[in-house]
Amino acid sequence: MHLRKAILVLLILYSSLDGNSQSTCKSIFTGQVLDEAKQPVIGATVLLLPQNLGQVVDLSGNFKFENLCAGNYKVRVQFLGFVDEEFDLQINDKVNRVVILKEDVKELGEVVINAHHDAAHTEYANSFTQLSEKQLDEVAGKSLGESLKEVSGVSSIQTGPGIFKPVIHGVHSQRVLILNYGIRQEGQQWGAEHAPEIDPFIASNIIVIKDASAIKYGTDALGGVIVVNPPELPSKAELGGTFNAISQSNGKSGTVSGMLEGGIKNHDGWGWRLQGTGKRSGDFHTPDYSLTNTGIKELNFSTSTGYHKDNAGFDIFFSHFKTELGVLKGTAISSLEDLANAMEREEPLYTSGFSYRIAEPRQEVSHNLLKINGHILTKHGEWKLQYGFQNNNRKEFDIRMGDLAKIPAIDLKLNTHTLDAEWETLHSDKRTVSFGMSGMYQNNENIFGTQRLPFIPNFANLSGGIFAVTKLFLNQWTVDLGTRYDYRYYDVKGFDYKNTRYESSFSFNNISASAGATVTLPRNQILNLNLSSAWRPPHVAELYSVGTHQSAAAIEYGLLLNDSTNEVMNIKDVNFKTEQAVKFVATYTSTWQRFAFEVSPYVNYIFNYIYLRPEGITKNVRGVYPYYRYTQTDALFIGVDVTGTWHASSYFKVLPKVSLLRVSDVRNDDYLVFIPSNRYELAFRYDRPSILAFKNIYVETKLKYVAKQHRAPRVITVRQIIDAEDQSIDLFANDNSNFDFMAAPNGYGLLNLAVGASLKRDRVQYDFRIAAENALNQSYREYTNRFRYYADDVGRNFIFSLKCIF
Amino acid sequence: MKNYKNIFKAITISITLISIGFLAACNSSDPKKEDTPELITKATLTFTPIGGGSPIVISATDPDGDGVQDIVVDGDINLAADTDYTLTLTLINELATPTDPAYDISAEVEEEGAEHMFYFSWTNNVFFNPTGNGNIDNRSDGLNYNDSDDNGLPIGLSTSWSSSLTVVSGKFRVMLKHQPDLKSQTSTSSDGETDLDIEFVINIQ
Repeated sequence: MHLRKAILVLLILYSSLDGNSQSTCKSIFTGQVLDEAKQPVIGATVLLLPQNLGQVVDLSGNFKFENLCAGNYKVRVQFLGFVDEEFDLQINDKVNRVVILKEDVKELGEVVINAHHDAAHTEYANSFTQLSEKQLDEVAGKSLGESLKEVSGVSSIQTGPGIFKPVIHGVHSQRVLILNYGIRQEGQQWGAEHAPEIDPFIASNIIVIKDASAIKYGTDALGGVIVVNPPELPSKAELGGTFNAISQSNGKSGTVSGMLEGGIKNHDGWGWRLQGTGKRSGDFHTPDYSLTNTGIKELNFSTSTGYHKDNAGFDIFFSHFKTELGVLKGTAISSLEDLANAMEREEPLYTSGFSYRIAEPRQEVSHNLLKINGHILTKHGEWKLQYGFQNNNRKEFDIRMGDLAKIPAIDLKLNTHTLDAEWETLHSDKRTVSFGMSGMYQNNENIFGTQRLPFIPNFANLSGGIFAVTKLFLNQWTVDLGTRYDYRYYDVKGFDYKNTRYESSFSFNNISASAGATVTLPRNQILNLNLSSAWRPPHVAELYSVGTHQSAAAIEYGLLLNDSTNEVMNIKDVNFKTEQAVKFVATYTSTWQRFAFEVSPYVNYIFNYIYLRPEGITKNVRGVYPYYRYTQTDALFIGVDVTGTWHASSYFKVLPKVSLLRVSDVRNDDYLVFIPSNRYELAFRYDRPSILAFKNIYVETKLKYVAKQHRAPRVITVRQIIDAEDQSIDLFANDNSNFDFMAAPNGYGLLNLAVGASLKRDRVQYDFRIAAENALNQSYREYTNRFRYYADDVGRNFIFSLKCIF
Repeated sequence: MKNYKNIFKAITISITLISIGFLAACNSSDPKKEDTPELITKATLTFTPIGGGSPIVISATDPDGDGVQDIVVDGDINLAADTDYTLTLTLINELATPTDPAYDISAEVEEEGAEHMFYFSWTNNVFFNPTGNGNIDNRSDGLNYNDSDDNGLPIGLSTSWSSSLTVVSGKFRVMLKHQPDLKSQTSTSSDGETDLDIEFVINIQ
């Protein structure tokens, strides 16, 4: 009770500061914000203009302004993914209004995790951040991994300007699960230079779950889950679509993407969609030189059809993704001497003028996905069934002797079948329960003809799991509980360093669990706590890798390779333990007047964390090589993500964002390499709903500062290794702690600018956007870019984009 | 209760069916053994005295390719003082069968001569001709190449040497660079990718 009094006092204080007379200011304005389905839009803000009083609605969608002075106000209600609602209102004594928000054009379809208002679903995760359609429009033309960097707590492991792998809270690759339209993305994700094979244009929103609460989706999600959601299929016979054209100055790239959708006349409930994207980019450039051979070619399409009625529906979806990527030519290295040369050069070797040509080293990747899913609502609950087939092809071409450059050095085909079944109780005010099971069969095949020892072996992977999840509602508390059992079987056939065949089969099984609670506190505060335990079976690459990897100038050995003979060992004879994580995430959201902020601290302790550890050097005919071995340790990730919004005036917002992270190798009392450093962002944004014929006008200035990574392992330069070798000194004999070839680069600040507006003509909406990234053309190197050893990061980039919605 | 029983039954049946379907196919496909033409496991240096006599043959062998074991050199290069030699380089992949084209890498290097070049360096003036210390540190330093590619640029599979007049010992380093689109009159040992880089002990007796 006294908290409410405190608000009253603060409100009175605020209104007195505003200089209004106290006696007439006793009016109350209450109301509720609902969507078209009459569900509360939790998190929507209600602004009273011109005084700029702000409130965020509570879990029932209610809001209440007290001690208002009688008079005329402008009320603005807004929430991401919804069309802003603005109206004039005379407030006198007591006024109550129900505001219905309309969903934004083509926003939020039937998604795996729906917006906040679908809290009754068990699929609703505890701690997540959304990239809405609006935000996706602002990153259009970028790859999925690069787009996700907009989410606080998400960064990327980068291989040059074209390859981005998402990193959530410091972990990546096998530890981040990506759900593409509900299907777990299965590509060759073990490689740090293997980007997710997804066209971001298929998504109407992307959700990042940063705790391990998404237990439904299976193993591996030690860091989190990325959910890519396409929009819901239309069910009425109305033709609609979008067209995007984006041009970028850096790389002289052009991206075109289009989508057409509709229903079928006289067949209500049926819908279809066709979508496609094409992209062509040439060499990117730094402020000082061209990054030769960093071009990109991409061609993607998807098609879907489905039928949806109130209590049943199904969808069929097919997508094809194909990309060809150049890898910076100056990174083509085959010995320690070459590596030293490449790192000491100011400008990378082979640097030449701009070109669209993509030569070796390069990658050719294609990914096909077929998905069929159905759901049926009975009086006992809802049944869901989904089948997915994925076909992933990866070819890596290296600079090789003579005609060998024309054949891939790595040529892998990965086929994956997934089947998921789920039953969920009808939604109630007390609890929702869901049971499910999932199965996966995967076959990885080395395509014959690479004329090189295979880097990873052929394998078959059979996995299965069952889970139970429940959500309980107790007054202002919402409690989530979940548990899951998984089994994985591997059958492996490969060739070792001598080109001698080996075979093995083995299995893993374990249990995951998660518990979370959300409590709504007075004064628009929400606290969310989540504790989860997850595990991850090792990837075959972590067990059996052998050989050199594209642009790594290092030899990698899997966990099962004997450290003196290189012989492949049986997993039973090795002290191997599966990776297991315990993660705690707390998220506190609060809104007070014109301020809103979210603080989300987290701790993730990963037992038996698998990573590539530098072990020593080996000599072969090409010279001296450093070699790395997959090793296990215990790693601790501690961090905090903070985001805020300050509505400085009715149109002007200030948006700070901070992500801090500290990672330790606990077992060896050491640091790990390629951990994202602390980053800070401050955006100033001016939004106007309309000026003349223009709508949704905005101007944004974004300052980004990325600090130097001070928690980096010791530095041993390549020259030091070569010199030690000349004097027959083994640098790693007494100290095999982690090391890096170069010190972490200095911190850097970037300035990004953007302006945008919409224009509506004859039922067609045109969205324009002009942006400048790295507007000051700063030379910098990013610690988590694997090319930081060889070249600077990209310089100034102008982006022009046009989107038409019809 | 009945409701839950039905669900349980349905789940059990589907698990069984799926398991049977998957297990039937749960064997990884058979991999085929690859040829590995780029793998050089043995480099042989043959110094043939121009005036006649038995050649001096020294080999460097890598027993495990990309494995952790270091390269092994089967001895020092022992040359007679004040003698002219022709040095021939042979690169072999012992993992391939001798009849296989992938076996003789030196033939491949010759064929792709326009992209390959050998560089040499030595210490203590072990040679009377060429003088100096070789062209690894400085491309323009003297070297006697006996062969050339289609563009008239040297390759280095065959080279000529005259040993020092006096007894001396030093080091002899052989480096093969792969320089696609880079090989020129001035390309150096730090251009391109290294295919071979071995150091030997050399004694002039």
